[in-house]
Amino acid sequence: MGVSGYADPNGPMVYRGIYHLMYQYNPKGAVWGNIVWAHSTSTDLVNWTPHDPAIYPSQPSDINGCWSGSTTIMPWGTPVILYTGINPQNQQVQNLAMPKNLSDPYLIEWVKLPNNPLMAPSSLNQINASSFRDPTTAWLGPDGTWRVLIGSKTDRRGLAILYRSKDFINWIKSQHPLHSAKDTGMWECPDFFPVLINSKLGVDTSTLGPDVKHVLKVSLDDTKYEYYTIGTYNPDKDIYVPDNGSVESDLGLRYDYGKFYASKTFFDSLKNRRILWGWLNESSIQADDIKKGWAGIQAIPRTIWLDKSRKQLVQWPIAEIEKLRGHQVHLPQQVLKGGLSLEVSGVTAEQADVVISFKVSDLGKAEVLDPSWTNPQVLCSKKSASVKGSLGPFGLLVLASKGLQEYTAVFYRIFKGQNKYVVLMCSDQSRSSLNNSNDKKSFGAFLDVDPVHEELSLRSLIDHSIVESFGGGGKAVIAARVYPTLAIDGKANLHVFNNGTENVKIASMSAWSMKKAQIS
Amino acid sequence: MRTLVFIVLVYVVFQIIFLSSQCARLSSNDDNLIEQTCKQTPNYSLCISSLKSDPKSATADVTGLALIMVNVLNTTATRTLIHINSFLHHIPSPKIKKALLSCANMYYNGIITADVPVSIEALTKGDPKFADDSTLDAAKEATLCEEGFSGNSPLTVDNTNVNNVARVTEAIVKLLL
Repeated sequence: MGVSGYADPNGPMVYRGIYHLMYQYNPKGAVWGNIVWAHSTSTDLVNWTPHDPAIYPSQPSDINGCWSGSTTIMPWGTPVILYTGINPQNQQVQNLAMPKNLSDPYLIEWVKLPNNPLMAPSSLNQINASSFRDPTTAWLGPDGTWRVLIGSKTDRRGLAILYRSKDFINWIKSQHPLHSAKDTGMWECPDFFPVLINSKLGVDTSTLGPDVKHVLKVSLDDTKYEYYTIGTYNPDKDIYVPDNGSVESDLGLRYDYGKFYASKTFFDSLKNRRILWGWLNESSIQADDIKKGWAGIQAIPRTIWLDKSRKQLVQWPIAEIEKLRGHQVHLPQQVLKGGLSLEVSGVTAEQADVVISFKVSDLGKAEVLDPSWTNPQVLCSKKSASVKGSLGPFGLLVLASKGLQEYTAVFYRIFKGQNKYVVLMCSDQSRSSLNNSNDKKSFGAFLDVDPVHEELSLRSLIDHSIVESFGGGGKAVIAARVYPTLAIDGKANLHVFNNGTENVKIASMSAWSMKKAQIS
Repeated sequence: MRTLVFIVLVYVVFQIIFLSSQCARLSSNDDNLIEQTCKQTPNYSLCISSLKSDPKSATADVTGLALIMVNVLNTTATRTLIHINSFLHHIPSPKIKKALLSCANMYYNGIITADVPVSIEALTKGDPKFADDSTLDAAKEATLCEEGFSGNSPLTVDNTNVNNVARVTEAIVKLLL
């Protein structure tokens, strides 16, 4: 998406039928720095038109940088942005910006309150001036007061500082944070929103009631991974309590188990869904990024909702992405014997959408899961695609070179656990490129699917240096960045493979060449 | 009168002793911070000598110490780039020349004009994770430069220094996350 360096999605919204995405952008180079809010609009979330930066340093409260923030839609329908500014003393403060001209549907120009900052660290409130950033979308409580969260920490305890306001201008810090967790370090890009129970539809951020639960997501500065919990928000006490069994660290639930950070959701009131944006940064070295002239991209926007188990969220690429589908190929239903692979030709393998479903029958042959294997990422690194198994590894080889010197493998392995079967999903980048200067770390997730009764579905969206994979209909998602040197320029191939000893049935398989989206 | 002078003298002497012990305590606190910080890096002696060579380290907090190390990284990398340029002037073999040019790119575009300024901005403005990524990247660029010579490197001392400095810097930045 364009030239130069960019990162966190900011202030996503829909206004008068037009979607807006802003993002952290450095107009001076393919690195982080000199940060402004770049701005693009779209009518379909797929094809984008860039505009001039919406927010850039212009007053003392943001003269040293306009960092991340969110949009809140007022009850009468107009947007307001709260964002972190860096002031002349290099302190992190929170500012307000609003559209200059509400009759401009593209909202090109924004103006700021002269009395910014509205929230700032002080000796009175004891807030750490370099750990106070990323305001969320605000929500209205039943008492008619606005609430907003700002990410922070005290020593190693991550916090979501809570501020309240009656008029969106005068904000008062709450005595207690909405929530905190020990040993998690700085909480960046907090995101707090309601989800409907038993529905894929999204709801406005202020929605409360017995048919919603709440989600709190934070991005961890420390490890560069995120985690979320599902729980209950008490609007009278202004406290969030995660459900029993929630894990509060990056060993907990993640939107995406791969290279995905600084994510943010927004409520799409046009189609009543909640949409998730995330930043996929580079896995290449800085010198290569400078040579390319760009670094950092946004993941494909995903619809997100609460799983019927209520124990996790589910995501799926927005339906609009399917309009980029071009020529289609199918594979007929068939058994893929252990040790074999099938090439899929007829699609542009560097830019494709692949959907496949597997059925496994002889589950008795599954390897036993060692009880010490609790970290899926480590397990995927140890058992790459080239390590034989019994039920698996089976899945896709994408961005593969002709002689398979390079490939990225997205696959499943099935293990016998304590009292059920465990499905491991991996995105294996270890052989993705002959260029060893890239970070080829593999990623993994345990997929909550029952292979006895259900098929194992997998969808991978491939776009040159990006592979976004959705397992189990979106119950586990992994985004990866790869930089093949051979599997490029029309020479990439796509295979379905089975490196296990046991046969696996391909229940269905379709692949499409994808057309290019309009992004600049 | 003599008693008064005596009392005043004793008072003054005590003040001097008291004040100098205060100063001693102040600077030993900061020495303590430098030592405590350097103990958490992979190269204690390099860390100590680098930090103490800058007088600002006496009164710096951890962010300040990290910034001093970024400056050391900048100096060490710049010196390496100068060496690369002088080797290029001595008409090297095609293989060595290719590796030298690749190193020049990594040092100039990777470390000096990207990793260093990003680290400084990130530390100054309070988003240290970008400094963490950048210092890790700097160590990687130096390692890759060295590997590009397949054993015949004229830059081993330089690359080792830059790698060590980068890793000490990253260890200090990690304390801020």
